[in-house]
Formats: sequence, structure tokens, C-alpha cells
Amino acid sequence: MGSVHIKDEERIGSEAKVKLQPSVYLQKLYETGTPDLGWMDNMAEWGVRAKPGNLGLRLKDIQIGTYGQIPDHGGDHRSMAPRGAVIPEGLPSLGFTLNEKAEVWADNAAELYEEAVARQWSSARDIPWSELKPLPDDLERAMCQLCTFLTEVEFIAADAPTRWMSQMNQDFFEVKMFLATQAMDEARHMDVFRKRALANGGGLGTASVLSELSLKRIFDAPSFSAQTGRLHLLGEGFVLTMFRQGEFIAPSRVDQEIFRRCMQDESRHVGYGTMHLRAQLRANPDVAEEIHEQLDDAERILLETFSIPESVEPMAILMGGGVKNFDKGMELQGQLWRRIVHEYLQRCDSAGLDRRPRCILPTDFSKLVDTPQDAVVS
Amino acid sequence: MPSFPEPGWFLALGRLMEAEGARFQRLGFAETRFAVRVIPDEGDNGGENLVGLIIDGYRLSDAKFVGQLEAFDPDFVICARRSVWNRMLREIVETGRPSLRHTLSSLALMGEEMWLESSDQLREDKFYRYNQTLQELLNLASQLPAH
Repeated sequence: MGSVHIKDEERIGSEAKVKLQPSVYLQKLYETGTPDLGWMDNMAEWGVRAKPGNLGLRLKDIQIGTYGQIPDHGGDHRSMAPRGAVIPEGLPSLGFTLNEKAEVWADNAAELYEEAVARQWSSARDIPWSELKPLPDDLERAMCQLCTFLTEVEFIAADAPTRWMSQMNQDFFEVKMFLATQAMDEARHMDVFRKRALANGGGLGTASVLSELSLKRIFDAPSFSAQTGRLHLLGEGFVLTMFRQGEFIAPSRVDQEIFRRCMQDESRHVGYGTMHLRAQLRANPDVAEEIHEQLDDAERILLETFSIPESVEPMAILMGGGVKNFDKGMELQGQLWRRIVHEYLQRCDSAGLDRRPRCILPTDFSKLVDTPQDAVVS
Repeated sequence: MPSFPEPGWFLALGRLMEAEGARFQRLGFAETRFAVRVIPDEGDNGGENLVGLIIDGYRLSDAKFVGQLEAFDPDFVICARRSVWNRMLREIVETGRPSLRHTLSSLALMGEEMWLESSDQLREDKFYRYNQTLQELLNLASQLPAH
């Protein structure tokens, strides 16, 4: 009968435990040959004609009429029924727990999603691996230790927010779509730094207890916004500066391309986090204390992380251009530390979080050796 | 042929950007308005130049001298002395790209020879979000006729 050959077709359903009754609708359809078409009179807002802009048809171009209205409270049905569609009775709830717009929203989520999709890259195709040349042993070891750190920490920005992603009301799908791109970005970062460590005669270095502690605290954050403060504002902001630093310290064009492309991705993540916290803090100023508490702890761990050789020395060696210029590298690292703290506090300002009085990160790198006793991680 | 940093010089880069087409589309779109500030070197009698630029997707849609920065409202301003800009452009002409530590990102990172100005970190971060596009745009200077 059919033109498609299905292997062992006669066996299909021979052991099925459930027997379905043909639907009344299908019986009628086969008997009369007349389609129902009732659904055609049950559409949502009709006559919508979104027009593409100069960069194609983007999400912002379809924010039209009721479809462009982002509700303050996500749909009570808690299902994946599309925002703006006709919602039938009896939708099974998926049990979303983040149902308030302020809990997840950022005004730039759709823009960042489109940008992320447009600016994807491939570590296999876009990195000029064939140009990789042997490096002096100290530089290769330092680069490999740095890549080990980055391979270790990068995927937390996929694993952690996607735990909450499945809890987000589907009416805020733009945020979910952006977070999906963030997860893809982090997969690529883990992939590219692992490849770099294994591509030039080196290998992976030592994993870090303190990095793992930092990741665990991000993973265990009590709310999405608290996690965003910890992850996007401090963690990714810090890594963003490392990526920028990575281009500066790159001993080759291969490393330069890797870090520059990762930097672009990371900037989007920081942009989402900053704007989400801005929206959340405007709607719920009391959340500030929860975020402050997360940052109190996160800053302490960051300081601890910068107290061990495998965190400090690879960057200094790469900054200085070798072990022989270690002092120069440390001096440059000190200059960068000020920038890290400055930009972190600027992002807190932009998010509407007055972090300056509470921040324990010293602006002077040399003060890291004077870390007070009560700043030790417990 | 206009010379750096005249708007016509940037617009010539813009035409090359459109001609390159696929290369910039592969990098992905960029949407930013920014300014380039060229500060005279010590002993240089020339004044400061401030050029406003708009990248709209895959094209440089505008370049003009800017008098009032606030009126242009850039996301960020890239500032450097003329000699630093000239060194970058010379390296681009010679090899197609600046040396590793003389890229826009590397120079702006240390903030000594080149620095960014912005009123909002979020808007400044567009310099990083679109950095490859910005650098590749400048790298097109290697294709401009010598003057």
C-alpha cells in the first residue's frame, strides 16, 4: 500500500498492551470526507504581518500586538503553550516555579539571543590551529594551566542556569532561548580550551579545590537571581577580563583568536546578568540583600583563589612573557586587578546594586597579601 | 583619498566591509554607535579629532566628525594618541593585522596607550561583544590605496 518500506511491518503492534479506540473525529472524517475546520475559527490575534528589518526577521520584529506583551505574571497553566496562543482547558502543568517576570526577565534577552545566534563560531573551523607553533616550555605550561582552569570553570555557566531554566514559566521564553545560547557558548569554551591544552605538546594541568568550591556555591545558589549575581556579575565578569587578558598575553594568533571570540560570547552573558538584576532589583528592592550575601561569599572565595600559585603564576608568566619576567608579569597583573574590580563595581552600579560599601575586593592587588583573617573561606 | 581619521577614510573602510560581505556575515551582526578619539602627540600642533561611527548590522552606515559627544551619544569612545593609531595602521598595512599586543582589545586592556570612555559599563561592553568586527573593520585598512 504505502511506498515507504518499513522493516518487519507485520510485527508492529503485535505485542502492544494498549488498544486504542479510533477517534470519533477520524471515523467521521473517513466516512464523510469532510474536514472539521473548527480550529480555523479559534485562532489568537489574527492578521499579523511581521516585517523583517535589515538583518532579517528578528524576535523584536514579531513583538506585535498581544504577541509583544510580556506579562508580569506567567500563565497560570504552567505549560509550554506558546505565549499569545489560544489556551485550551486541561493543559497539564509542568510545575514551573519561576512565574514572575521580575524573577527572570532582562530587557535585552531577545536582542542577546539573536546576537548569539548570529555570532556563533566553531572551534574546529574558525581557529587557525595549523598556525600553532611550539612555545618555550614555561609559556606552554602556563598556557596549559590557564586552559585547565578555564576548561574546569566554563561549563558552570551552562549547568547552573539551566537548572533554573526548566523552572521558568514559558511566557518568558526569550530568557530561556538566551540561556540556551549561553549553554552552547559554554560548551564551545570548554571545548576550545581543552583542545588548546592538548594541541601544542602540553596537556592538562592541575584542577583546583577553590575553583570547585566556587562552582559548587554557584550551583547551590538559593534562587535564580542570587545565582545570577554570583555567576554573571562577578564570575563571568571576572572571566570576561581574563579573556580580554588572554588576547593580550596570547603568544600566538591561535591563542589570540580563541580568547577574542570567547570574550565576545562572555560579554553577552554579563550583559544579560546585569540587565536581569536591574529588572529584578527595580521590581523587588529587597532582593538586594540576598544578592549582597551571595557576593560577600563569592568575593571571599575569589580572594582565596588568588592566593594559590596555580591561579596567580600562569597569568603572571604569560603577562611577562616567561618565568624570567615574572616580576613584570606580576606588576601587569596588579594593574589588571584594578580594572577587574573597577568593572565589576561598574556593573553592580549598572544593575542598581550599591556594592561599593560592602565590597571586600581590594583595589590594590598588593593588598591581597593582607587579607584579613575573617575573609578566610569556611 | 581621505586619510585617517577623516570620516571619508572610515567610509572607504565601510565600502570594503560591504564588498567583503560573507566575511563579516560569518562574524555575525553588530549594532553599535561609537567614536574614535585621536589625541595629538606631544609637540603636535594639530587639534584633537573625534569621529562618530555607526555599525548597523554588516555595514558601516555613518561616519562623521563629532562636535558634541553627548549629542552623538556613543556606546563607547576609543581613545589614543595619534602615534598609537598610526602604529596600529602601519602594522595593518604591513601584515594585514596589528601585532598581537597592538590590537584594539590588547591596547584597551592595559589602558595606557589606548583606553575606552563610556558612561555605562553595559554600553562599553559592546566594545567586547563586537570586538572581532571592529578589529576586522580596521584591518581592511590594508586594502586601502597608499597615500
